[in-house]
Amino acid sequence: MFGGLKAKLQAARSRLGSSIQSVITEPAGAGTGGVQPEPVVEPENAAVPPATAARPTIVEKFKVLLIERELIVSEKDVADALSELELTLLESDVALPATDAIIAHVRKSLVGKHRKLGESVDSLVVGALRAALLEVLGNGFDLLDYIRTHPRPVRILFTGVNGTGKTTTVAKIGYYLKKQGFSVVIGAGDTYRAGAIEQIGVHAERLGIKIIQHPEGGDPSAVLFDTVQYATSHKIDVVLADTAGRFHNKANLMSQLGKIKRVMKPDLVVYVDEAVAGNDAVIRAFEFDKTIGADAVVLTKADMDSRGGAAISIAHTIGKPLMFIGTGQSYDDIAPFEPAKVVEELLGDA
Amino acid sequence: MADTTQPMDERELMTLQHYLKEYGQQAEIFVSQLEMLENGRMEALGAIEALEGMMASEDGVVLLQIGAGASVRAKILEPEKVLLAIGAEVVVERPNKDAIEFLKERIMEMEASQKKVAETLDRLRSQMNEINKRLEAGYQQSMAAGQE
Repeated sequence: MFGGLKAKLQAARSRLGSSIQSVITEPAGAGTGGVQPEPVVEPENAAVPPATAARPTIVEKFKVLLIERELIVSEKDVADALSELELTLLESDVALPATDAIIAHVRKSLVGKHRKLGESVDSLVVGALRAALLEVLGNGFDLLDYIRTHPRPVRILFTGVNGTGKTTTVAKIGYYLKKQGFSVVIGAGDTYRAGAIEQIGVHAERLGIKIIQHPEGGDPSAVLFDTVQYATSHKIDVVLADTAGRFHNKANLMSQLGKIKRVMKPDLVVYVDEAVAGNDAVIRAFEFDKTIGADAVVLTKADMDSRGGAAISIAHTIGKPLMFIGTGQSYDDIAPFEPAKVVEELLGDA
Repeated sequence: MADTTQPMDERELMTLQHYLKEYGQQAEIFVSQLEMLENGRMEALGAIEALEGMMASEDGVVLLQIGAGASVRAKILEPEKVLLAIGAEVVVERPNKDAIEFLKERIMEMEASQKKVAETLDRLRSQMNEINKRLEAGYQQSMAAGQE
């Protein structure tokens, strides 16, 4: 997942590291930044005193540990490397606002004084990149926690454009919740697309999840209203409401979605799109949020997306968290989006 | 192992038909993704050819297609500079050579994606074949049961 972005980030990380390393190796005062003259003794060298010297006291030992290299990095020292990182992110389809935020964060982290105790330049760079990525990725969305802390049934409405895997996502999340011990009912609200009711019906049957269906062409609001009624009367924990795919610029279809929202009163509106759509997915999510609202996002087909642009930028750009990412064809191939895990994968050496 | 002597009931046959239909729909989406990737690849190859041609042209005159089969001779003012959409709706100016390199990298990325999509498609098709076989067996069993 996001292999291309990972490789590019590794290259950008090396470049940033080299830029800072060159500041360290420059004679003090020769460059724009530099190393303060005070450090000489590396802590590990100091830890082994010469045999002839007197045994150092605890205070002396402590003093030695506090002697650090003070590194000053100027904006100019990292300008080229940051510009390269910026292009790397844009080429990976990371949206411009998210790219700007990452660059600003990395710049802020690196430029200035650093007092590091035994820390390598690489870990300084990785730390800056990690913090910047975590900032734009946000906190994710813990659906299980949300369900546990809200009145039942928790009503979740799934929206999005056509052909992005919305129905399959509903089935996968249903399976995920069922495995976590929640009872689930699915509302077959896509009454428009031929075969959609059958499709979600097959999924539900295979997963042993109750489904509420009306005939094709029926009013989706009515189906989803009935689903909520069923969930309430049977004390079901979660309602997953599938809807027909639509584009945000189709006024009649969007007003239908508005009606669905008024009728079923969802606790969460989840926008589903495919990671491979890159920046297009970000723009569409933004438009959907503006038109109908969205509380969280699910990105499908992340396993086929080497760039990772949508996953990196969607939370920052639309201000709504990424909840799940779809990573394959089977019901198990969906994972809660955990920013820390994704960042570790992107910046890890393996 | 499934008992092949027992005829499949109608409900099971219908479920298999649904699976087949669903896999078929998924396969269609992947096929259209493959087509999009191939179109993108061909477009990038065409752009590389055009950029190389521009540099090779002595007077900088090229034939510019304006649609509907009509073309005009156009003179490229700065063939060594290319405005390139690099992603995230951002356009940057790059030297011709760098633009070609960028496009070659994009082609490699698209080929890698094509490979992944094709693998998924192959898996889907083999699952569809499997379902088809089971359906076929089910129909035959049903027919045999009807004749008895």
